[in-house]
Amino acid sequence: MNPDFHYYATYCAAFLAGYSHEEAMSICYSDQFVDLCSKSLLSKLRAPLEAATTQLQLELMDAMTDIVGLQDITRIWASFHFLPRDLVAEPPRHCSVLYRNKYRLICGPNGELLRMTVELARNKGLQAVGIAMHILADTWAHQYFAGTPSMVINNTNYHFYELLTENGKEIEKKISFRHSASAPDDLEKSIYTCSLNHDSENSIMQLGHGRAGHLPDYSFIRYKYLPAWGYYEEIIKDNPSDYKHAFCQMIYAMKYLRGEHESFETKQYDTAAVAPYEEEIEQIIRKRQLDASEDWKAFGEKLSGQTIEPFDLEKYQSEYTDAAPEQKDGTYLGQFLIAALAQKSMVTNQIFQTGSRLAGYSINYRKKGLKGVKAYHKLLEQTKGGEDS
Amino acid sequence: MSYFQRLRSAFSGLLILLYVVILLLLPEQGYALAVLLLSISLLIKGVRKLIYYFTLARHMVGGKSVLYHALIMIDLSIFTIHVASMTSLTILIYLLGIYVFSGAVDILRALEARKYGTHFWKLKLINGIIGVAFALVLFVIGISSHSTILMLIGYCITLVYSAVLKILSAFRKTAIVYIQ
Repeated sequence: MNPDFHYYATYCAAFLAGYSHEEAMSICYSDQFVDLCSKSLLSKLRAPLEAATTQLQLELMDAMTDIVGLQDITRIWASFHFLPRDLVAEPPRHCSVLYRNKYRLICGPNGELLRMTVELARNKGLQAVGIAMHILADTWAHQYFAGTPSMVINNTNYHFYELLTENGKEIEKKISFRHSASAPDDLEKSIYTCSLNHDSENSIMQLGHGRAGHLPDYSFIRYKYLPAWGYYEEIIKDNPSDYKHAFCQMIYAMKYLRGEHESFETKQYDTAAVAPYEEEIEQIIRKRQLDASEDWKAFGEKLSGQTIEPFDLEKYQSEYTDAAPEQKDGTYLGQFLIAALAQKSMVTNQIFQTGSRLAGYSINYRKKGLKGVKAYHKLLEQTKGGEDS
Repeated sequence: MSYFQRLRSAFSGLLILLYVVILLLLPEQGYALAVLLLSISLLIKGVRKLIYYFTLARHMVGGKSVLYHALIMIDLSIFTIHVASMTSLTILIYLLGIYVFSGAVDILRALEARKYGTHFWKLKLINGIIGVAFALVLFVIGISSHSTILMLIGYCITLVYSAVLKILSAFRKTAIVYIQ
């Protein structure tokens, strides 16, 4: 997903869930910050690198694809952008343990990990809410891809068709891909940019939805293709429907986080909150455009009657860097980093417990004490006596 | 490309250059060494591909191509060992044949890239066509003149070319799509 949804649409969902303008701004800032909190930025802020929630182009280019490098990549992308739907899933055919472990990382909505992610954010700061909403929304947009470099899971081939309605008739238009990262996607000619087809299982080119380009990030598009893991069964990806589900589920989840619901259950969507604005939201989602920020912004401002300021990466940086060491955790970014560490710790632990080492090792604090990466000690301070690892 | 991949690419380029020197100074021993090295590398690649197919790729859409790739490599490796006992002319013709094959693969990959709609297929196509044409010209010259010298020099030129490409690719920037 792009800033249009992670920032502006999240603001709208937060406001509809009952948060004030200021609270909604904090939540949508945190949501969008997930896509920018890289090791490079954390290094500049002298913050714990383990709290990174994304990797930049250059970081990925130089990422080691040895076992440790792959585990680092998987921890970041599976925890924040491609949350696995079912960690105990069994592939339809008999397979090796390695294949099964990769198959289980396929992202999708309404999984057990999503429930744990939302519950983890309860009674935490607004930054944790923003992170959880980012992950929730991405489970819809990024479904069918895994947050680990894998050709056998994430590869696609030339069988890609956009599904359009012209003069009331459903038509299929062949999608062409190119590999020029600087060239914008051409909606008229259905030419999109995707990562190169590198004939290597662990190539960075095979991470997430890189091989399908930005198609999962556009709310308007409907398309069909053959996922590498799908045994030649076509998948129809209906982004307008998925994005609407994501929006309604975000409202439901945030109402739970505000205490309006006792528990968070998957497959629940707050369609009632959306009903008065359904037509407007449908229009924004279905509008054929690369960036829907202006439309979501206008809708959000109409809802709250307040101005939504544009995202500013620098906004909270000086507060964090100027704070005394013992006060850093209390700043906006300090709270974000703790929430990010908690999320990464939880997802890594869940993957580890299935016997998979694709996201690395997880040490149970109660059994082994503080033997893990030092950055996670912060979590202990926050959750005294907790089981975080 | 990771640091290790860059290092591997540069190192293999340098090894090829070293091999060219051996081939030009000691052609007879060079032929046998060439065939042996080629056979071993094909065997290793083939077996690795085979393991990859049976553990992972057999579940993948289009995964059969990995199996065919592996079998062709192992088959070529076995055949290459048998070539070692033949005359230097036959060995050179075989090596040029391998070069034609690699050029043909380049052409096929370029056509595949074109099928995807990318604009970056032309360079690969030209590369493949030049490779195939160059090897065929050397083949015709070698057969008509019954001389291995020209063929040897031509083969060394192709090796130097691929060594330079490998070294250059070790320093190349590899742009990828940033996924958000």
